[in-house]
Order: sequence, then C-alpha cells, then structure tokens
Amino acid sequence: MNEEMAWVAQAQRGSDEAFTRLVETYQTHVYNLCYRMLGEPEAAEDAAQETFLRAYQHIHRYDSKRPFGTWLLSIAAHYCIDRLRRRKFTMTSIDQDEEEGGFELPDPDVANPEAEAIYGEQRRQMQRLLKKLDSVDRAAIIMRYWHDCSEVEIAESLNLTVSAVKSRLHRARRALAGYWEAEQQPSHHERRPHESPAF
Amino acid sequence: MNHRPFEDWLLDDRQLTAQQQRELQAHVRTCTSCTAIAESNLALHSTRRVGPRPGFVDRYQVRLEMRRRQQRWRQIIGTLVLVLGGLGLLYWFSAPFVQDMLLSPASWITAGIGYFVFIMTSIQVMGEATGIILHVLPGLISPAGWLGMTLAISALAFLWTVSIRRVARAPQGV
Repeated sequence: MNEEMAWVAQAQRGSDEAFTRLVETYQTHVYNLCYRMLGEPEAAEDAAQETFLRAYQHIHRYDSKRPFGTWLLSIAAHYCIDRLRRRKFTMTSIDQDEEEGGFELPDPDVANPEAEAIYGEQRRQMQRLLKKLDSVDRAAIIMRYWHDCSEVEIAESLNLTVSAVKSRLHRARRALAGYWEAEQQPSHHERRPHESPAF
Repeated sequence: MNHRPFEDWLLDDRQLTAQQQRELQAHVRTCTSCTAIAESNLALHSTRRVGPRPGFVDRYQVRLEMRRRQQRWRQIIGTLVLVLGGLGLLYWFSAPFVQDMLLSPASWITAGIGYFVFIMTSIQVMGEATGIILHVLPGLISPAGWLGMTLAISALAFLWTVSIRRVARAPQGV
C-alpha cells in the first residue's frame, strides 16, 4: 500500500490530518479542473473547496480500486457541470484574465519573455475557447489534456460509455479547432502557407 | 490522399509513423482547417495547470470547521423543533383528558385501575395461550421444518441488519 492509499485509509477511519494531506496533494489538480471549467478564480476556489468538503463527507464511499485523484476529479467535474447548468441563463462575466486568481505552475521549457508572451496569449485564447464548449465536453477535454486521464477514467468519472467519451472528445476537438480558426481569421491573411506554428 | 484521414489523425491523437508524419505535415501546410486543428492541439498540449492561491489548505480547514458548526446548529435546531412539536402535539391531544382528570380525579383513578387490570389479565391470557401453542406445535412441525424456519428467520434478520447498517451509516466528520 503506498503512502497515498494509507492516507485514504486513515481518512476513511476519520483522520482529519490524513485528509488534509490529501487536500495538500490534490489541491492543484482539483483547482485547475474547476478553473478550466468555470473560468473564474473565485468560482474555481469555491468549487475546489466544495469538492474537498464533499469528498471528506463521502470518503467512506470511495472505492479503492479507482485512483483517488480521478475520484476527486469526478466530484469536481460533476459539481462544476451542475454549477454551469444553474448559471446558464444568468448574466455573468467570464472573460477575466487567468492571472487574476490562479497561479500557473512553472514550465522549464518556457525560458524567455517572448516565448512566455506568446504562450500567455495562447493559453488565454484556449481558456476563451473552452468556455464555448458544452459543459460535459469541456470536462472531458480538461480531464484528457490537463490531467492525462484515460478514456476509461473519463467515462467512469462522467458516467458515460467509453465510446461516448471518444465521440465527445472528437467533437469537442473539432469544435475547438473551428473556434480557433475563426479567431485566427484576421491574422491568416498575413501568414504565408508555410508558416504554421504547429510544426 | 484526401483531407479526412489527416483530420482524424489530428483529432484522435494517433501515433503516426515517420512517413505518416511527413504526409501530415505536407497536408497541414496547404489546409487551413487542419492547421487550425494542429494549432489548437498544440495549445491544448502546452497549456499548463493553474494552482490555487497560497493558503488553500488553511482556507479548506476554516471552511470545514464552519460546515461542521452549521451542521451542529442544524442538528440542535432540528432536535428542538422535534421536541417542541412533540410536546405541543401531546398537549393538544391530552389537554381535554387532563382537564377532566383535574375536575374528577376519583373516576379517573378508578378507570385507570380498571385499565391496568385489563392489561395485566390480557398479558396473562396471551402468555397461557402461547404456552399451549408452544407445547402443541413441536409435535405438528417436523425437525426439517423447524430448521428451515430458523434459517429463514436468521437470513431475514441478517438482511435486515445489513440494510439498516447501510442506510444508517452517517457521513464522517460532518
């Protein structure tokens, strides 16, 4: 039994200290998913806190055959999907810059300011585009690309079949590319055909 | 090759051979829609995780404590409402009888003694009837029947215990 599973077992027996260690370990995972889902630092903080409270309350239901991180992400994803559904018809501003509330983990590959600026613009654009996706598709994309979850894990977490996950990921990726292309339209005229930054 | 397979390669993150990669790169240079997919793929793969503000765990602990306090208050208020409601109902039902009893205590005491005697006699009669049944019944049912009945009752009791434990298991800590 590894250390994490020992903490889970202790938390299941009622140890607050063990659960706090789990919160420390998974705070970035859970916060990132909530932030990518909701797009606002305050809402993400609130959702991440609520996720941990729900996990604490229902820790006895956790099935140790599943990875604990995936179980937490599943709670967070469901909470965020519900929240997005509730606020679907309310007017909220979700175009805030991500530097306002979140802290990005350092990337050793991005060393110079110019690359950082380009990267910053890309991530802001990706965050804008994510908001255009359906909430379940968004959750599937976030779990796949930010948390390296397998299609089976995503299916278990979002109560979908594996084939539904595949088709949702495919559809969401296509939609993201469409939005991306639409946002790039003005600059497309300036770029020559052999200058794709993708390769 | 037409556009479709390239699009699928990009959308499904397929593992490509060197030859396929060359073909894909050549196609992407001439296809704006595949360029958009490739660029968005790149952005997806390169966007980093965002972490919470420092002190997340402390804020979690404060929130947990607040939640526990709310839960405790809810329990106290719930219990108070139940007790007060029960007492109110009891008073509402018993008020006329209490009034009568205060007006004529002798008749109520006589009625109470009569009721007590009736209850005691009923218990005694039921005890005797049960004794007779238990005396006669073993002769009517075979040992196998007794065994079957005992097993069935044990299974039911086990099932009942398990279901009660499952339903009544309280969430931890809150």
